[in-house]
Amino acid sequence: MSLTINRGEFVLIVGSSGSGKSTLLNMIGLLDGPTNGRIILDGTETTQLSDSQISEYRNKKLGFIFQFSNLLQDLSVLENVMLPQQIQQNSEDVLQKAKQLLVRVGLEDQIPKRANKISGGQAQRVAIARGLVNNPAIVLADEPTGNLDSVTAANIVKLMKTMAKELNQTFIIVTHDRQQFPDVDRVITIKDGRSFEGEQPQMELMV
Amino acid sequence: MDYRLNLAARMLGNKRGSLIGAVLAVSIGILVIHVNFVIFQGIYDAIIRDMSDYRFGDVFITHQEEGTIERSSSVYTAWLERFSAVKAATPRLGGTADIEFLSMGKINEEYDVSVLGVEPVSDIQASKIHETVDEGQYVYARNSIVVGETVARDLGGCYVGVQSALRGGGEDPTVTGDQIDADCKVKVGNNIKLIMENRVGEEVSKRFVVSGISKTAGGQGFDNSVIVHIDTLRSMLDRPDESNSILVRMNDRNSLVVNDLITQFSAAYKNDDLLIENIEQSAESTLKGFRSGIAMINLIGYFGMMSSAFAIVVIQMMLVNNKTREIGVMRAIGAKRKDILIIFIFQGMIIGMCGAGVGTGFGLVYTTYAKITNMQFEGSLALEVNYNWEKIGQTALIAFGLAVIASLYPSYRATKLQPVEAMRTV
Repeated sequence: MSLTINRGEFVLIVGSSGSGKSTLLNMIGLLDGPTNGRIILDGTETTQLSDSQISEYRNKKLGFIFQFSNLLQDLSVLENVMLPQQIQQNSEDVLQKAKQLLVRVGLEDQIPKRANKISGGQAQRVAIARGLVNNPAIVLADEPTGNLDSVTAANIVKLMKTMAKELNQTFIIVTHDRQQFPDVDRVITIKDGRSFEGEQPQMELMV
Repeated sequence: MDYRLNLAARMLGNKRGSLIGAVLAVSIGILVIHVNFVIFQGIYDAIIRDMSDYRFGDVFITHQEEGTIERSSSVYTAWLERFSAVKAATPRLGGTADIEFLSMGKINEEYDVSVLGVEPVSDIQASKIHETVDEGQYVYARNSIVVGETVARDLGGCYVGVQSALRGGGEDPTVTGDQIDADCKVKVGNNIKLIMENRVGEEVSKRFVVSGISKTAGGQGFDNSVIVHIDTLRSMLDRPDESNSILVRMNDRNSLVVNDLITQFSAAYKNDDLLIENIEQSAESTLKGFRSGIAMINLIGYFGMMSSAFAIVVIQMMLVNNKTREIGVMRAIGAKRKDILIIFIFQGMIIGMCGAGVGTGFGLVYTTYAKITNMQFEGSLALEVNYNWEKIGQTALIAFGLAVIASLYPSYRATKLQPVEAMRTV
């Protein structure tokens, strides 16, 4: 499978359940490794990186938005957004940046609340803020609206589109519901993990 | 605050049951050590205290080989009492005697009873035996005698109960189940006769009037002996001016002062072949075995503490299992294995600190209670309770260290979780 995605593209990966789209996303996100072949992200051959380097790469270059938001329930909304920068031990004004992003996603009044005290839609907005806080090169979203009602899902999609445009960031979104994302730059369809085949088992992603 | 510490504290704070369980495990381990220490070190110190008060003083002088000091004790006591740090010095002489007591027309006898000869005036200053006289008063005249509680009962025939009498025996009531008659023992004012052999093997006897009954908790005093005036004993044994030992009470018990006295005394009488010891040296033979016992008990206590470390391992493994998804998310957003390791080690440190604090608090409450109430067990000697801050700190540190060590394995297991697998956990 060989795949190239350009910087700033808003790409949708669709396919039926079990087709391998989440596996593809996990591999791009370096959460899972290929049994064979290479993954090149932003010119870096990632399969050669150590576990520690992969963690650092994920933290600096990738942002994640999960289906169930996956916020840390023990922390506040603000602390969840600050976390990627704290992991990076960034000396910049972490607090200020996290607050700005929360204002940007419309959650300024939820800042002091515990993560388990907000609604599903709000949690997904916090997850978007957390995914963007380190200015990643690529934002990966795995069924980001899969757990939301249609109105909230539409709002989340709109927010992601706006943020992608404003920050010129690459969004790769996996979904099984094409209808929720009517206006995207590209749509890639995966079927049985074999939609993109080449001579070598190589997947190249150029951003 | 480091985000890992913050996260560790929050995770624990939101699992109060686990936190309380782990802290209690550490605390109970520490409390066991404190209780052991209060009881066994308390008994040890109480024995030293009583040995010093009744038998050895702060400094004990005797002959190196023969056990008898032939030179007049007044020579030594006069020298010692010139020393400003010395409160008093008193000679003592010992022997054994058979004792006869006529009770209800029947002669009761006791054989080979220890007899202690004291110089009453200086003995009151140098020792605390006089404080053990429960009834009556201390030796005050040449023919007065203080009888130990056990001897007083034995001589009075207290242990011959109804059942035993029917069998014609004088058996121990704890064996026969007989009741002890409280009025049966020798009383103040009674006459008793001491029969001894003098230095040339002649039998000598003398009648005494009982002036008091000596009784100590745990029998650490002279409950199995009788106490008479030293001059009377010297006369009976035909050993004028002789003594077995000289007991010295210090005004200042500082070890430097005591050792200085020992050095000076040894130098002054270097040709007299005297053995001069501080209380630790005098009590050494008695306490050597006891010290091993204390070490053993402490070891058992520390093993107990190790079992609380296992409890921490179990509780932290539960915490790790409970936080699998969060660990996966942390790893996904860039936390390294070492960050996860540090978070859970921080949890071990928090548990250790809280446990050490709470456990030390419990221990101090118990120690204070034991000190205030002069804790003793069923009439045994009162514990000598002291706050040993070095030991208290050491125990808290060991508990903290064990909690951190116990957290290593669960922390390591947490680092081994793969993000994708971990996030699948619901």
